[in-house]
Amino acid sequence: MSSSFSPQTARDSRARQASSAPSSFVRHLVAVVVMAFLIVAAIYFLIPVVWLLIASTKTQVELQSSGIFSLPRHLELVQNIHLLFAYNSGVFARWFLNSIVYSGSVAILTCLVSAMAGYALAKFEFRGREVLFYIILASMMIPGTVATIPLFVIEQPLHLVNTYLGVILPLIASPFGVYFLRIYIRDVVPNEMLEAAKVDGAQERTIFWRIVLPVIRPAMVTLLLISFIGTWNNFFLPLVLLHNQSLYPLPVGVDVLLSLIATPAADQSMPIYQLVITASLLSILPMIIGFILFRKQIVTGLTQGSVKL
Amino acid sequence: MPVARNQSRTVSAAAFLAPFMLLFIAFLLAPLIYAFYTSLFINRFGQPIFVGFRNYVNAFQDTAFWSSVVNVIRYAVLQGVIMIALSLILALVLDTKYARWKPFFRLVYFLPYAVPGVFASIMWGFLYSKPLDPFLQAMHFDPLSASALLYSIINIATWEWAGYNMTLYAASLTGISTDLYEAAIVDGCNEFQLAWYIKLPLLRPTILMTVILSFIGSMQLFNEPFLLSALTPISQTFTPNMDIYAMAFNLTNLPYAATLAVLLGAITIFISACVMVIARIIGRRSRERGASVIPSEEALTL
Repeated sequence: MSSSFSPQTARDSRARQASSAPSSFVRHLVAVVVMAFLIVAAIYFLIPVVWLLIASTKTQVELQSSGIFSLPRHLELVQNIHLLFAYNSGVFARWFLNSIVYSGSVAILTCLVSAMAGYALAKFEFRGREVLFYIILASMMIPGTVATIPLFVIEQPLHLVNTYLGVILPLIASPFGVYFLRIYIRDVVPNEMLEAAKVDGAQERTIFWRIVLPVIRPAMVTLLLISFIGTWNNFFLPLVLLHNQSLYPLPVGVDVLLSLIATPAADQSMPIYQLVITASLLSILPMIIGFILFRKQIVTGLTQGSVKL
Repeated sequence: MPVARNQSRTVSAAAFLAPFMLLFIAFLLAPLIYAFYTSLFINRFGQPIFVGFRNYVNAFQDTAFWSSVVNVIRYAVLQGVIMIALSLILALVLDTKYARWKPFFRLVYFLPYAVPGVFASIMWGFLYSKPLDPFLQAMHFDPLSASALLYSIINIATWEWAGYNMTLYAASLTGISTDLYEAAIVDGCNEFQLAWYIKLPLLRPTILMTVILSFIGSMQLFNEPFLLSALTPISQTFTPNMDIYAMAFNLTNLPYAATLAVLLGAITIFISACVMVIARIIGRRSRERGASVIPSEEALTL
């Protein structure tokens, strides 16, 4: 459009801009106010995490006696980590491992199952395809917790309550994953490529593994990350479905720790505050590091998935 | 478009769909149907007895449940307005020429998305705790008191989700053609007018979507008050989901818990649908009146 400018209009607009342009003082003032606002907002979003970092390096006595953001006299982080891993014969390590098992398997299986379903919905023609797609889409509107309590009842006769599978299977059925990959496969995988493979006599299974999956790899990475984070952060589902401490993921485990704060044992025998604080730090640290490393992929997926909704 | 349509193709399609459909039916559709089915029974000495809609009749007279619904709607509206306003302001300010270090700020604002709600609640909960916070002691202000609790939870949720919504807005803004901006600047628009008259109207579909998503999420409020109840006494009927959870597991009244869950889901979907319809009517009316502030591309081309 700018190329269609005639010299005349360009000169006009420059003159208009000059007359209405604010003085350089005003412009500097606005820039300072904008930056001040952005910095204050950044402090707001960082405060809890910075506090957690500082608090995890203090002893419980110091935590309650010194100011919340004052630095400790002596770094106690390593001792706090030792305390945490010693608690209840190392159950925290178990929770950490459980979180990795739940998040890892849900992420991988969600990608695979969603890619298969997305491929079928994108590239095959069959009766009821659109209806099915809209049912899947509509199910994204249903509040997740509505189905969770009955899920507990349905899993009982299947012997899935209080098992790893009982938590993993419901989370694999991700309407968002299918929706996201269906759109991606439809737009990105060329039909000519599939046709050519068919002419060469390739089986459907081979086409899926050798052609579709490699082409949609960027979207798969995004979905892998999103569903890993989603599972790592999930609290309600494992809270309802598990009642054996050794199967808990981190959020449910740390909730157990936190609930001990109100008990009389908290002050005398156990540094509960320190355990909860250190456990929280170790639980969010891998997420924060991964998030910083993979931010681009995560953002692409979230915005592609939602903007088109 | 689809490649071929013979018998074997249909079989392959079914095979590719099967794993997802099995899981979808078993772990999403079946629980929803079962929730409704079981809400038609009561438990008497371990025996289910069919009572039709009696649980629903009881639920309509359950003042504790309805006060929790009113409470959570109040929360959803307040939190939604505050959070979306903050997210919009952040996205629009970051989109001006005055902002520097944009990638840094975008990253910092979005960071809480990676922090599980449970840990966000724990961090803020401790920051709210008087014994740990001399500043609050000096101020004689207790964020965990019954009167302040709702606002303290609003703050936690806003902290968690403002950056996520900002990221969605920022993505929509980068999708807008820069020609439109250039034309507006040539016409003498300043940065504020640019944001108010051009960017904001263009963000409307994204804003509507985030309003709906945030409302659905807010109606399920559970993690934050559940976690905070370790630090301060919170009623089990503070939110509908806490009520439902307590009904199912502390009182083991599953049919009634299912009744309340079905009602909560219905209320949530009904209000979301109303919001969408109203937004559509308002959108159409403002377009008919020609009040739309987005000038068409042609009007801007000199």
